Amino acid sequence: MRWLETEEVVRFNEVDEWGIAWHGHYIAWFEVGRMALVRRFDLLPRQMVELGYIAPVIRLKCDFKHPAICGDSIIIRTTVIKPEIAVLTFKFEILLKKNRTLLARGETTQVLLTTAKKMIYRFSGELAKRIDKLIYYCEKK
Amino acid sequence: MEELINNKEELFEFLKKMIIDTLRLEDITPDEIENHAPLFKEGLGLDSIDALELVVAIEKIFNIIIEDENVGQKAFASITALGMFIQDEYQQVQAD
Repeated sequence: MRWLETEEVVRFNEVDEWGIAWHGHYIAWFEVGRMALVRRFDLLPRQMVELGYIAPVIRLKCDFKHPAICGDSIIIRTTVIKPEIAVLTFKFEILLKKNRTLLARGETTQVLLTTAKKMIYRFSGELAKRIDKLIYYCEKK
Repeated sequence: MEELINNKEELFEFLKKMIIDTLRLEDITPDEIENHAPLFKEGLGLDSIDALELVVAIEKIFNIIIEDENVGQKAFASITALGMFIQDEYQQVQAD
């Protein structure tokens, strides 16, 4: 499985009263990783809309393993799981850059709706082509 | 396959078992699913992710494709509706 890695720095406004990165921000970092990955396959939200689809998240999981502090450089790793049904499931890992300590591990699942808000049950046409490329990329070692 | 599809009672029974197996509904038996009760929400209580799984099972078993929610709403209205949908689609595929 291939992961795409993106770097971020924990900002002052992202830490809480205890000086550690607030848990909610990890979800925003997942989004950074997801965008970096889908951009390569022309699957950015705007491009999905151009094809006639939106992809709301219907499930989110996150396990927090280790805290990050202000100024820490972090690595967001993102990949996609080959789907058995018509959903997009991304996996994420957030690591501390300096020693690759695992900070958090998470997963999101998205369904595909038409812009008229009707769920699609299978990927077809141009959408399927782009998703296939994305999955192929992530499957490779 | 043709025999199963043409026999309404057997087909309904098969679909009930298929739903239970596909969605791993451990607390329910085929007898508890009524032919005319809605499969989603107030009926059997399935949701849209369940629909995605059923679509894959139906494609594998019957080679019948349910593209989206527009078709799904009719097909998954009840066991009777699903049975009729499969019969109709099967006949069309045979005719083509």
